[in-house]
Amino acid sequence: MRIPILKLHEYLLITIQVELDDQTALQFQEDLLNKIHDTGAKGVVIDLTSVDMIDSFIAKVLGDVVRMSKLMGAQVVLTGIQPAVAITLIDLGISMREVPTALDLEQGLDKLQLELEG
Amino acid sequence: MDIQSCVEVCNEWDIVSARQLGRNMAKELGFGNVDQARITTAISELARNIYLYAGSGKICLEPVEQMGRKGLRIIAVDNGPGIRDIRKVMEDGYTTSGGLGAGLPGVKRLMDEFTIDSTINSGTEILATKWLR
Amino acid sequence: MNAAIIDMILNKRMEIDGLWSEEIADYKSTNRAITPYMREQLNNEFLSLLFNHISQGDISADGTLERFFDKVLRANMPLEYLTQGLQSFRRIVLEIITEEDIQKDAAFETYREVDRWMDPILNSVVENSSRLWERTVSIQKSALLELSAPLIPVFQHISVMPLIGTIDTERAKLIMENLLEGVIQYRSQVVLIDITGVPVVDTMVAHHIIQAADAVRLLGSTCILVGIRPEIAQTIVSLGIDLSLFPTKSTLQKGMAKALEITNQQIVNEK
Ligand SMILES: Nc1ncnc2c1ncn2[C@@H]1O[C@H](COP(=O)(O)OP(=O)(O)OP(=O)(O)O)[C@@H](O)[C@H]1O
Ligand SMILES: [Mg+2]
Repeated sequence: MRIPILKLHEYLLITIQVELDDQTALQFQEDLLNKIHDTGAKGVVIDLTSVDMIDSFIAKVLGDVVRMSKLMGAQVVLTGIQPAVAITLIDLGISMREVPTALDLEQGLDKLQLELEG
Repeated sequence: MDIQSCVEVCNEWDIVSARQLGRNMAKELGFGNVDQARITTAISELARNIYLYAGSGKICLEPVEQMGRKGLRIIAVDNGPGIRDIRKVMEDGYTTSGGLGAGLPGVKRLMDEFTIDSTINSGTEILATKWLR
Repeated sequence: MNAAIIDMILNKRMEIDGLWSEEIADYKSTNRAITPYMREQLNNEFLSLLFNHISQGDISADGTLERFFDKVLRANMPLEYLTQGLQSFRRIVLEIITEEDIQKDAAFETYREVDRWMDPILNSVVENSSRLWERTVSIQKSALLELSAPLIPVFQHISVMPLIGTIDTERAKLIMENLLEGVIQYRSQVVLIDITGVPVVDTMVAHHIIQAADAVRLLGSTCILVGIRPEIAQTIVSLGIDLSLFPTKSTLQKGMAKALEITNQQIVNEK
């Protein structure tokens, strides 16, 4: 299973709409880094609106993706994290304070624009 | 559905099956959206630990009732290496695999009741229960 | 019950009615909307229930009583109306029976019978009212829990959650859920959590607030903590609680100014 990565100008957009198993998550990490390398994208929005569970493994993969992308010069914003998912992450003790977030795709793009300009 | 439902955990896909079973049972028992996510996440953590550290084992789920309260119990059993220092693995951030070390202490907070019973070279059994609010 | 006694009681219905209505005339509803006419209706219904209980046998099990009690309590009549109504009825019935010329042991037997005959009704009153009480308490408890943490949308993208009262773990969970659902519902980019009404901020309360702020941030919104009184600032620092991770302001006004700044909005005076 592969998660599609869309390119929009200098940004990459990903909407995760499948149940994330470990393999899919790791494959996604690899695909995204390659895509950043190939396109020179400056920003990435990962939309999690349809994701109904994030456990410690997926949280780690997402956190790693953000840090790795940054090393390659791309800023990542996570969007659409659902209330129930946020609450379980907090229960797990994972607050991802260093990861930028936004309410939805549109605001995620706004945020990228702001951060890349400023 | 008063009986246990079990999922054998031997590979990564079984982790997904276990949490899907958990989500369905939690929904059927009438747990709200947030508690469904808590239960599903706890199962995912326990199943992945079995897969990573014991190689194989099983996750069983059973509806429970006590003093008029209804709930769902997760039973995670394996015949793996066991846990030497239980206090240590219950600390936030303790990991032997480069993980976040959030799994076990997290499961304890996600659920209402949590017990862990482990014998070196023989295996680990974890019980975790969530009560309907 | 002895058929002769039943007949005797039924024959004296008018007399019993008069004495009884007089005795319970003092019990009034706290609800002004209950008119004297409605009161009289209630009395009539009460009395005919009791007479039915005599003439047709035990009615404590068929639901008739429950329905009547429910009606009485919903009319805001005091519980004493029921208990005194029953006791007066018993006393009057006994007086009337013993006025008749009967032998001593027959009188004794009658006493016992009347008592036994009243028991199921009294039990049912107690049972019903305690059940009603429990239900009321639990409804009020959950209503209080939910009402006490509303998220109020104030301006576009800005909401306020005023917290009032002590925060325990159960309430903290509820507050968190309301807060997050509200953020999604109103698409709030900034949420002001106002703790002016929280009497004590100890490590536990601070921990809950930090968790809520972290969760809000995960959704993609920003939390500003406002209403930090001097003594709360003192306890927070002396307990070594780190609130530096998100913006805090002393008052709601200052927090609102910050929120408007974050969301790129301004309040303008139109001349
Ligand atoms: N079933 C088990 N059998 C043996 N050891 C276990 C088992 N479950 C957990 N452990 C040990 O306990 C440690 C802590 O587990 P925990 O789930 O809290 O964190 P993690 O798995 O290392 O990381 P994370 O769950 O955050 O990805 C593990 O690193 C492992 O050493
Ligand atoms: Mg783990």
